[in-house]
Amino acid sequence: MTFYEKEILRIRTLCFSNVKQTETVISTRTYIDNNFDKELNLNFLSYIRFTSKFHLLRLFKKYYGLTPKQYLITKRINESKKLLENGMGVTESCYLVGFETPSSFSTLFKSRTGLTPSEYQKKSNFHKVNHN
Amino acid sequence: MKIRVLSIPVQNQDNALKFYTEKLGFVKKFDIPLTEGNRWLTVVSTEQPDGPEVLFEPAPKNFEPAKTYQKALFDAGIPCAQFDVESVQEEYVRLTKLKVDFTVKPTDMGAARIAVFNDTCGNLIQIAQLI
Repeated sequence: MTFYEKEILRIRTLCFSNVKQTETVISTRTYIDNNFDKELNLNFLSYIRFTSKFHLLRLFKKYYGLTPKQYLITKRINESKKLLENGMGVTESCYLVGFETPSSFSTLFKSRTGLTPSEYQKKSNFHKVNHN
Repeated sequence: MKIRVLSIPVQNQDNALKFYTEKLGFVKKFDIPLTEGNRWLTVVSTEQPDGPEVLFEPAPKNFEPAKTYQKALFDAGIPCAQFDVESVQEEYVRLTKLKVDFTVKPTDMGAARIAVFNDTCGNLIQIAQLI
Protein backbone atom coordinates (compact mmCIF):
# COMPACT_ATOMS: atom_id res chain seq x y z
CA MET A 1 0.00 0.00 0.00
CA THR A 2 1.39 3.42 -0.97
CA PHE A 3 1.77 6.38 1.37
CA TYR A 4 -1.19 8.05 -0.38
CA GLU A 5 -3.49 5.04 0.06
CA LYS A 6 -2.60 4.89 3.76
CA GLU A 7 -3.39 8.60 4.06
CA ILE A 8 -6.77 8.12 2.36
CA LEU A 9 -7.69 5.44 4.86
CA ARG A 10 -6.39 7.46 7.81
CA ILE A 11 -8.24 10.65 6.83
CA ARG A 12 -11.42 8.76 6.02
CA THR A 13 -11.38 7.14 9.46
CA LEU A 14 -10.72 10.44 11.20
CA CYS A 15 -13.14 12.64 9.27
CA PHE A 16 -15.82 10.48 7.68
CA SER A 17 -16.35 7.41 9.86
CA ASN A 18 -19.97 8.24 10.70
CA VAL A 19 -21.87 6.57 7.84
CA LYS A 20 -25.29 7.88 8.88
CA GLN A 21 -23.95 11.42 8.98
CA THR A 22 -22.45 11.03 5.51
CA GLU A 23 -25.74 9.66 4.17
CA THR A 24 -27.68 12.61 5.65
CA VAL A 25 -25.42 15.16 4.00
CA ILE A 26 -25.26 13.43 0.64
CA SER A 27 -29.04 12.96 0.50
CA THR A 28 -29.52 16.65 1.36
CA ARG A 29 -27.32 17.67 -1.54
CA THR A 30 -29.13 15.24 -3.85
CA TYR A 31 -32.44 16.74 -2.73
CA ILE A 32 -31.18 20.26 -3.49
CA ASP A 33 -29.88 19.12 -6.91
CA ASN A 34 -33.27 17.64 -7.79
CA ASN A 35 -35.37 20.51 -6.39
CA PHE A 36 -33.23 23.63 -6.85
CA ASP A 37 -36.03 25.35 -8.78
CA LYS A 38 -38.44 25.11 -5.84
CA GLU A 39 -38.58 27.14 -2.68
CA LEU A 40 -36.06 25.53 -0.31
CA ASN A 41 -34.87 26.58 3.11
CA LEU A 42 -32.91 25.10 5.98
CA ASN A 43 -36.02 24.44 8.09
CA PHE A 44 -37.51 22.30 5.34
CA LEU A 45 -34.23 20.49 4.49
CA SER A 46 -33.62 19.59 8.13
CA TYR A 47 -37.26 18.55 8.57
CA ILE A 48 -37.10 16.00 5.72
CA ARG A 49 -33.83 14.57 7.09
CA PHE A 50 -35.13 14.36 10.69
CA THR A 51 -32.28 16.49 12.00
CA SER A 52 -31.83 19.89 13.62
CA LYS A 53 -31.18 22.75 11.24
CA PHE A 54 -28.03 23.85 13.05
CA HIS A 55 -26.66 20.32 12.96
CA LEU A 56 -27.43 20.02 9.24
CA LEU A 57 -25.86 23.42 8.55
CA ARG A 58 -22.63 22.42 10.33
CA LEU A 59 -22.52 19.00 8.67
CA PHE A 60 -23.19 20.30 5.18
CA LYS A 61 -20.47 22.92 5.52
CA LYS A 62 -18.04 20.32 6.87
CA TYR A 63 -18.57 18.00 3.89
CA TYR A 64 -19.02 20.46 1.02
CA GLY A 65 -17.31 23.61 2.27
CA LEU A 66 -20.53 25.59 1.67
CA THR A 67 -23.75 26.10 3.60
CA PRO A 68 -26.88 24.56 2.02
CA LYS A 69 -27.98 28.08 1.03
CA GLN A 70 -24.64 28.85 -0.64
CA TYR A 71 -24.76 25.49 -2.40
CA LEU A 72 -28.31 26.14 -3.62
CA ILE A 73 -27.32 29.55 -5.00
CA THR A 74 -24.29 28.04 -6.77
CA LYS A 75 -26.48 25.33 -8.25
CA ARG A 76 -29.07 27.84 -9.45
CA ILE A 77 -26.42 30.10 -10.98
CA ASN A 78 -24.84 27.15 -12.81
CA GLU A 79 -28.21 26.05 -14.15
CA SER A 80 -29.07 29.59 -15.21
CA LYS A 81 -25.80 29.76 -17.17
CA LYS A 82 -26.93 26.78 -19.25
CA LEU A 83 -30.30 28.43 -19.96
CA LEU A 84 -28.67 31.75 -20.89
CA GLU A 85 -26.18 29.98 -23.16
CA ASN A 86 -29.13 28.37 -24.94
CA GLY A 87 -30.69 31.75 -25.61
CA MET A 88 -33.34 31.96 -22.90
CA GLY A 89 -34.21 35.44 -21.63
CA VAL A 90 -32.79 36.72 -18.34
CA THR A 91 -36.15 37.02 -16.53
CA GLU A 92 -37.38 33.63 -17.65
CA SER A 93 -34.07 31.99 -16.67
CA CYS A 94 -34.28 33.70 -13.27
CA TYR A 95 -37.68 32.21 -12.44
CA LEU A 96 -36.99 28.81 -13.97
CA VAL A 97 -34.00 28.17 -11.69
CA GLY A 98 -35.90 29.26 -8.60
CA PHE A 99 -34.86 32.86 -7.92
CA GLU A 100 -37.68 35.08 -6.75
CA THR A 101 -36.72 38.39 -8.33
CA PRO A 102 -34.62 39.34 -11.37
CA SER A 103 -32.76 41.95 -9.31
CA SER A 104 -31.55 39.44 -6.70
CA PHE A 105 -30.70 37.03 -9.54
CA SER A 106 -28.62 39.68 -11.33
CA THR A 107 -26.82 40.71 -8.14
CA LEU A 108 -25.96 37.12 -7.18
CA PHE A 109 -25.02 36.23 -10.76
CA LYS A 110 -22.65 39.16 -11.00
CA SER A 111 -21.09 38.48 -7.62
CA ARG A 112 -20.32 34.88 -8.68
CA THR A 113 -19.32 35.33 -12.32
CA GLY A 114 -18.21 38.96 -12.57
CA LEU A 115 -20.82 39.58 -15.28
CA THR A 116 -24.52 40.40 -15.27
CA PRO A 117 -26.74 37.69 -16.80
CA SER A 118 -27.19 39.69 -20.00
CA GLU A 119 -23.44 40.38 -20.27
CA TYR A 120 -22.82 36.67 -19.75
CA GLN A 121 -25.30 35.82 -22.49
CA LYS A 122 -23.73 38.27 -24.95
CA LYS A 123 -20.27 36.88 -24.23
CA SER A 124 -21.46 33.33 -24.65
CA ASN A 125 -23.12 34.18 -28.00
CA PHE A 126 -19.92 35.88 -29.14
CA HIS A 127 -17.90 32.73 -28.34
CA LYS A 128 -20.42 30.55 -30.17
CA VAL A 129 -20.19 32.70 -33.30
CA ASN A 130 -16.38 32.65 -33.14
CA HIS A 131 -16.22 28.87 -32.69
CA ASN A 132 -18.64 28.30 -35.58
CA MET B 1 -5.54 37.70 -12.87
CA LYS B 2 -6.82 34.43 -14.32
CA ILE B 3 -5.91 30.76 -14.10
CA ARG B 4 -4.95 29.82 -17.65
CA VAL B 5 -2.35 27.04 -17.53
CA LEU B 6 -1.70 24.11 -15.22
CA SER B 7 1.71 22.47 -15.73
CA ILE B 8 2.07 18.71 -15.61
CA PRO B 9 5.68 17.46 -15.76
CA VAL B 10 6.14 14.80 -18.43
CA GLN B 11 9.07 12.65 -19.49
CA ASN B 12 8.03 12.64 -23.15
CA GLN B 13 5.74 15.24 -24.72
CA ASP B 14 4.68 13.04 -27.66
CA ASN B 15 3.62 10.23 -25.33
CA ALA B 16 1.79 12.72 -23.11
CA LEU B 17 -0.14 14.15 -26.06
CA LYS B 18 -1.10 10.64 -27.17
CA PHE B 19 -2.29 9.57 -23.70
CA TYR B 20 -4.19 12.75 -22.82
CA THR B 21 -5.95 12.96 -26.20
CA GLU B 22 -6.50 9.31 -27.09
CA LYS B 23 -7.28 7.94 -23.62
CA LEU B 24 -8.58 10.89 -21.61
CA GLY B 25 -10.28 12.66 -24.53
CA PHE B 26 -8.65 16.09 -24.26
CA VAL B 27 -7.86 18.06 -27.41
CA LYS B 28 -4.69 19.88 -28.43
CA LYS B 29 -4.85 23.65 -27.99
CA PHE B 30 -1.32 24.98 -28.67
CA ASP B 31 1.74 23.29 -30.13
CA ILE B 32 4.55 25.80 -30.49
CA PRO B 33 8.08 24.55 -31.26
CA LEU B 34 10.82 25.84 -28.93
CA THR B 35 14.48 24.81 -28.57
CA GLU B 36 16.09 21.36 -28.25
CA GLY B 37 12.93 19.63 -29.46
CA ASN B 38 10.83 21.01 -26.59
CA ARG B 39 7.40 22.49 -27.39
CA TRP B 40 4.84 24.72 -25.69
CA LEU B 41 2.26 21.96 -25.87
CA THR B 42 -1.15 22.32 -24.21
CA VAL B 43 -4.45 20.46 -24.22
CA VAL B 44 -7.94 21.40 -23.04
CA SER B 45 -11.08 19.54 -22.09
CA THR B 46 -13.66 19.32 -24.89
CA GLU B 47 -16.20 20.38 -22.25
CA GLN B 48 -14.25 23.61 -21.66
CA PRO B 49 -12.46 24.53 -24.89
CA ASP B 50 -11.81 28.03 -23.52
CA GLY B 51 -11.05 26.81 -20.02
CA PRO B 52 -7.73 26.15 -18.29
CA GLU B 53 -5.07 24.40 -20.34
CA VAL B 54 -2.83 21.53 -19.26
CA LEU B 55 0.76 22.26 -20.27
CA PHE B 56 3.05 19.26 -20.81
CA GLU B 57 6.14 20.59 -19.10
CA PRO B 58 9.28 18.63 -20.15
CA ALA B 59 11.08 19.54 -16.90
CA PRO B 60 11.90 15.94 -15.80
CA LYS B 61 13.89 15.53 -19.03
CA ASN B 62 15.83 18.78 -18.63
CA PHE B 63 16.08 19.48 -14.89
CA GLU B 64 17.24 16.75 -12.52
CA PRO B 65 15.42 18.03 -9.37
CA ALA B 66 12.12 17.98 -11.31
CA LYS B 67 12.76 14.34 -12.22
CA THR B 68 13.52 13.50 -8.57
CA TYR B 69 10.40 15.29 -7.34
CA GLN B 70 8.18 13.63 -9.95
CA LYS B 71 9.52 10.17 -9.03
CA ALA B 72 9.11 10.79 -5.28
CA LEU B 73 5.44 11.75 -5.75
CA PHE B 74 4.84 8.77 -8.01
CA ASP B 75 6.50 6.30 -5.63
CA ALA B 76 4.39 7.62 -2.74
CA GLY B 77 1.25 7.21 -4.85
CA ILE B 78 0.50 10.95 -4.66
CA PRO B 79 -1.39 12.46 -7.63
CA CYS B 80 0.17 15.50 -9.26
CA ALA B 81 -3.17 16.86 -10.55
CA GLN B 82 -6.89 16.30 -10.24
CA PHE B 83 -9.63 16.44 -12.87
CA ASP B 84 -13.37 16.65 -12.28
CA VAL B 85 -15.58 13.99 -13.85
CA GLU B 86 -19.32 13.41 -13.90
CA SER B 87 -18.94 9.83 -12.70
CA VAL B 88 -15.75 8.35 -11.28
CA GLN B 89 -17.15 4.84 -11.62
CA GLU B 90 -17.99 5.29 -15.31
CA GLU B 91 -14.57 6.78 -16.05
CA TYR B 92 -12.94 3.94 -14.14
CA VAL B 93 -14.77 1.39 -16.30
CA ARG B 94 -14.07 3.30 -19.53
CA LEU B 95 -10.38 3.86 -18.84
CA THR B 96 -9.79 0.34 -17.55
CA LYS B 97 -11.10 -0.96 -20.89
CA LEU B 98 -8.48 1.29 -22.54
CA LYS B 99 -5.79 -0.45 -20.42
CA VAL B 100 -5.25 2.53 -18.11
CA ASP B 101 -3.72 1.37 -14.85
CA PHE B 102 -5.45 2.54 -11.63
CA THR B 103 -3.51 2.73 -8.37
CA VAL B 104 -6.63 3.70 -6.38
CA LYS B 105 -9.97 2.22 -7.43
CA PRO B 106 -13.14 4.32 -6.94
CA THR B 107 -13.19 5.23 -3.25
CA ASP B 108 -15.59 7.40 -1.25
CA MET B 109 -14.13 10.09 0.99
CA GLY B 110 -17.06 11.73 2.75
CA ALA B 111 -19.03 13.47 0.03
CA ALA B 112 -16.37 12.96 -2.63
CA ARG B 113 -15.58 9.93 -4.76
CA ILE B 114 -12.03 9.62 -6.07
CA ALA B 115 -9.84 7.29 -8.10
CA VAL B 116 -6.19 7.55 -9.18
CA PHE B 117 -4.55 6.35 -12.39
CA ASN B 118 -1.11 6.27 -13.99
CA ASP B 119 -0.77 8.72 -16.90
CA THR B 120 2.21 6.74 -18.32
CA CYS B 121 4.25 9.97 -18.37
CA GLY B 122 5.62 9.68 -14.83
CA ASN B 123 2.55 10.94 -12.96
CA LEU B 124 -0.50 9.81 -11.09
CA ILE B 125 -3.72 11.69 -11.80
CA GLN B 126 -6.76 11.80 -9.53
CA ILE B 127 -10.30 12.01 -10.86
CA ALA B 128 -13.03 13.21 -8.52
CA GLN B 129 -16.75 13.91 -8.28
CA LEU B 130 -19.00 15.22 -5.55
CA ILE B 131 -21.61 12.69 -4.50
